[in-house]
Amino acid sequence: MSRLSPVEEPVLATGIVKRYGKRTVLDRVSLTVHPGITGLVGPNGAGKSTLVKAILGLVRLAEGDVRVFGLDPRREPHAVRRNVGVVPEDECSVPGLSGVEMVRYAAQLSGIPGIESLRRAHEVLDWCDAGQERYRPVETLSVGMRQKVAFAAAIVHDPRMVILDEPTNGLDPIERRAMLGRLTTLAHDHGKTVFVSTHVLPDVQAICDRVIVLAAGRVRLKGRLDELTRPVAPQLRLEITGSVAACLDRLAAVGIRGRRLDDDTLHLPVQDAAGLERLWQATRAAGVVVRALTPVQERFEDVFLRAIAQPQEAAHAAS
Amino acid sequence: MPLHDVGYRAWQGHRRGPWSAAVAIATTGTKLAWTSRWLRRAVFFAWSPALFFAASFFAFEQAIDEGRITSLQERAARGSNLDGIGLLGTILADTLGRSDAAQTHVDRDAELVATRRLVWSRLLLAFMRAPQAVLLAVVVGLVAPALISRDLRAKAWLVYFTRPLSGIHYIAGKIAVLATVVAAVTVLPALALWFAGVLVSPSVWVVVETWDLPLRIVAASVALAIPTVLVALAYSSLTAESRIASFAWFATWAACWIAHSSLATADFVAAMDAHATAVAEGVESDDDQWRPLPRRVNWVARAAGVDTTIDRWSWISPYHAIGVIQAWIFGVETRPEAYVPPLIAMIVVSLVSIVVLAWRVTAPLRA
Repeated sequence: MSRLSPVEEPVLATGIVKRYGKRTVLDRVSLTVHPGITGLVGPNGAGKSTLVKAILGLVRLAEGDVRVFGLDPRREPHAVRRNVGVVPEDECSVPGLSGVEMVRYAAQLSGIPGIESLRRAHEVLDWCDAGQERYRPVETLSVGMRQKVAFAAAIVHDPRMVILDEPTNGLDPIERRAMLGRLTTLAHDHGKTVFVSTHVLPDVQAICDRVIVLAAGRVRLKGRLDELTRPVAPQLRLEITGSVAACLDRLAAVGIRGRRLDDDTLHLPVQDAAGLERLWQATRAAGVVVRALTPVQERFEDVFLRAIAQPQEAAHAAS
Repeated sequence: MPLHDVGYRAWQGHRRGPWSAAVAIATTGTKLAWTSRWLRRAVFFAWSPALFFAASFFAFEQAIDEGRITSLQERAARGSNLDGIGLLGTILADTLGRSDAAQTHVDRDAELVATRRLVWSRLLLAFMRAPQAVLLAVVVGLVAPALISRDLRAKAWLVYFTRPLSGIHYIAGKIAVLATVVAAVTVLPALALWFAGVLVSPSVWVVVETWDLPLRIVAASVALAIPTVLVALAYSSLTAESRIASFAWFATWAACWIAHSSLATADFVAAMDAHATAVAEGVESDDDQWRPLPRRVNWVARAAGVDTTIDRWSWISPYHAIGVIQAWIFGVETRPEAYVPPLIAMIVVSLVSIVVLAWRVTAPLRA
């Protein structure tokens, strides 16, 4: 533990290239995973799983360098894996073991001694709200319960970083919300780095601080989610009670050309304090009640679709 | 919801090294294997032959205690049948008949010690060869095929290799599972048999006279375990279907046994023909190499090294090769031309199995 670098970046990848035969799966990928929750999104075959394997030192890279907490995962895989927990996309388990035995086994494989491994397994399963189902063989568990067991197995050794591949696959809405809540708790209350590879864009928008968009083996977009979803021209979203038409007229009179979205919502191109002052005057004059005034954010789905639609070379230059 | 939900808590304890992971793999694998009802039955049956052999130890020691050993030796030297004293049968007859001590009669005590060592060695060898080696093949065939293939099928390699352990620790853990089975089927019953021999002998000084036999039992078990365990695991690592690995395991034993029997029979027939031709021509034939087996020698006795002809095809069959190596370990077979070829064959098989095993287990890491 003491050999780990106290660097800010849990993962630092520089120009990594991975080929399977003649197919290039990762093409000069450079990225940084910061503390907090980072989402890795991309279409099928984008290279997400290979990137996760590269971080764990499970694949040989043709070029480039990966550092996890300052360590090279190919040279010091044990030191890296002691500090990383992984929830794989595939259901991987040891048939015949019960849920709690599976988590305990994971703890023992990570070096936690005998009885303590059992205590820790129960503690983590309690936190995951696993209930009595933990005593059933893993192969008979429901999808949601299996996901809980896999998640518990990934965090049982208290890693500094948790990597999750499609963590909400097959979960019902209640379980999905609970899982996302646990990830947020780990990241924001316990200082863990959470790296989530997923297709589910609403999940990304719900919990991620940062996002990396990968397509065809290249990074198409990366950065803070709130920055990426900020519109090119700043706009405000105004929700009112009252006449939208009258409000639009008054806004036009003070030089603000608004756009009506529905019966009580407008988008307004207001960029500075003076514009904001005019907005307040117009709404007062129109006699409407302002229920909410928030900056307009783009949907991440739109940002994502734009990013993966870029021509490859332009995208590479941008990244 | 637990009564005391403490939420997520950091874990501050001391972690053990990667070899503790190998121990976890071994203990968990053994526990999972033991859930098989067939394995429990097989291990139970593996202990039952020890009762019959214990009766033989008792019969031999009783003969010594009653002072009948000298007369038995004389009868054996004349080629008489000794089956009347129990399962010992032809093993004892052959041992006593060939014993130098039986010929000299210099010192009765020294003669008894030498005879006891010979008889005990051959009994233990027969026990490890005839019932235990066959049972071990069955037990390993029940356990080993699923050990790695099940992990391949369940994609459990990610469970292991996202943790701080490497392929060596994984393989060591899996080998330890089978080593436990080998110990349960061969080492422990054989040691129990030796201990039973000590208990039924007239003096506790027998322990001093036969102190090396437990070590030879362990060495013979290791010689049995290394190639069988490695081959079985190599098969298991080659497929995600444990049924295919099981079939390959049993097919290997059967096919090699058949091949050995065919070649040995061909040699036997050739020797008989040569002998018949020589006799017909009035020429003395040199049939020392492939002398036909004595009519009364059964397969248990052959396992104990009673058949002194050199089996030049033993290296083809794992069962026969391991048998010759075990005979060498027990001091029954001392001719290098007999034990070196099977020894080399088993070393080569073990090395190839290690290479296959390492190659297959680390395949996901070499992608």
